[in-house]
Amino acid sequence: MARIKKNADLAPSKKEKMSGGQIILLICLIIFTIFCFAPVLLVFISAFTDEIYITQHGFSFFPEKWSMSGMNAVLKYGKQLFTSYAVTIFVTVVGTLLGLLIMSMYAYAMSRKDFRLSKFLAIFLLIPMLFNGGQLSGYIVFTSLYHLKDSLLLLILPLCVSTMNVIILRTYIVNSIPSELMEAAKIDGAGEYRTFFQITLPLLKPSLAAVGFMMATAYWNDWQNALLYIDTNSKKPLQLLLVNIQKSIQFLLNNNNVPASARAAMGGAIPQNSATMATVIVVIGPIMVAYPFFQKYFIKGLTVGSVKG
Amino acid sequence: MKDFLHNTWKHRAHVILALPVFLVLFFIMYVPMTGLVLAFKNFDVTKGIYGSPWCGLDNFKFLIASKNIFITMTRNTLMYYVIFTALGTFLNVTLAVAIDQCIFKKTTKAMQTLMIIPVFISYAAVQFIVYAFISKDTGLINGALGTGTSFYTQAKYWPAIVTITKIWKDTGYGSVLYMSVLAGIDTELYEAAEIDGANRWKKIWHITLPSLIPMITVMLLLSVGNVMRSDTGLFYQVTRDSGQLYSTTQVIDSYVLHAIFKNSNFGFTAATSFFQSVVGLLLMLFANWMVKKIEPENALF
Repeated sequence: MARIKKNADLAPSKKEKMSGGQIILLICLIIFTIFCFAPVLLVFISAFTDEIYITQHGFSFFPEKWSMSGMNAVLKYGKQLFTSYAVTIFVTVVGTLLGLLIMSMYAYAMSRKDFRLSKFLAIFLLIPMLFNGGQLSGYIVFTSLYHLKDSLLLLILPLCVSTMNVIILRTYIVNSIPSELMEAAKIDGAGEYRTFFQITLPLLKPSLAAVGFMMATAYWNDWQNALLYIDTNSKKPLQLLLVNIQKSIQFLLNNNNVPASARAAMGGAIPQNSATMATVIVVIGPIMVAYPFFQKYFIKGLTVGSVKG
Repeated sequence: MKDFLHNTWKHRAHVILALPVFLVLFFIMYVPMTGLVLAFKNFDVTKGIYGSPWCGLDNFKFLIASKNIFITMTRNTLMYYVIFTALGTFLNVTLAVAIDQCIFKKTTKAMQTLMIIPVFISYAAVQFIVYAFISKDTGLINGALGTGTSFYTQAKYWPAIVTITKIWKDTGYGSVLYMSVLAGIDTELYEAAEIDGANRWKKIWHITLPSLIPMITVMLLLSVGNVMRSDTGLFYQVTRDSGQLYSTTQVIDSYVLHAIFKNSNFGFTAATSFFQSVVGLLLMLFANWMVKKIEPENALF
């Protein structure tokens, strides 16, 4: 990022004066920004729009009637919402930290020069990128061989290790951490583990931040594993809550004769437009808030990742 | 051999450091590979993967028998791969160059922050946003046009809807990679061109774009390995897995996911998965071979 910034300041365009072309370019970029951001804005607006207004006039960027009822409806999920939040946070934090730790350990081992087994480690890491069993095999192995159905392990382990992330970490170790440091530590009597944990790991921080944020986002946004494997309410993450809301809307729309008792079981009423949007805010909110702080790291991480190790 | 064992013993600490990832990869990635034998088995839940009886190529006969479904989803998978890759690359590069050329650096930085946001929204949430635009009674599009089009039941609209959604979600983020390449261009090149009297377009055409070509080539070739895989969320969540849309929205991945839930057509699904994995492998090997020829240092192996 520092490099990008420096170059941006040096960029030749800076010397040029404002021209008609620049204005047109800026307008085009603004239009594209609106295209990207308007739908996100719509979520926030709809969440605070009066439900009856949406039913009558449809979704709108400029509703005439505002209301807090959507947000209140979300709070009605009450306990389930808090449980799901807890599950998502738990899975995200544990998965990211565990993944970062074991992946940097592997990357470190792989980067040792006179370690003969490191070639095998590299190949072992690469094969899953080329060939994998696909969703169906995964599903059957995890459920009928490991019997892990409905286990949080299946939310954590499948996203824990990725070939690309190990390569990013390894590239960083090789290119940005001088091996003299590690050798010096050894001469000073530090064991292998101590060298890794006290010298290498702290120096890996920038790279860990980049990989970590991308991992955390992947964990936070993972709906597929949850949908495939999680049944119990107490283990449902936020994304599954969203999927379930959509499913229950569809169910109610397709079945006109759903008894009132069933409706009651679904939380009182058909989940409504503004309430649904309010739920979306609750689910995507934390990432929206965290992302600006990590932006510079993941841009850097992406750049590092593009340079093959 | 003795040397090798000696070396390994000397590095036993590294072996132990590598062990956790080794185990995760083994159990999460490698063991499921063996599940592909199901394509040649008559799966019986009670007997498990390895105990189920072999059935030769019966499952592939299924595949040929219901070839319409198979052809539709393979065609869709390939079609969207081509659209997303061609249009995606074009837009990513255009956006990167546009941001790079714009002299309002502070503004573009803020705009970039906003453009990247959609990539962080899961498809489970995106589908509600899409719904707000295209729903029959309350959608913005029907509202603006004064029409009552029922998008969720008409397949013909979906290639456009899916493509726009994908562009919306990924373009801002996709351009970052190309921007980092642009930032690395030696400014002296531009200055020299300026002295030679090159105007802005000439500079873009002769300096900016050529410098992006290696990255574009590599990204394109690497994506070849993923031809058979799609963004499952886009085709399963955003379309709400609506049966009426399958002719234009069902891709292999969304079909398999659907089949797992419906517990249906097991042999057919296993055969399809096998096809998907094997073709994926072949394409990946092909792509790497191509990268090696063009940009050896960017090859994966």
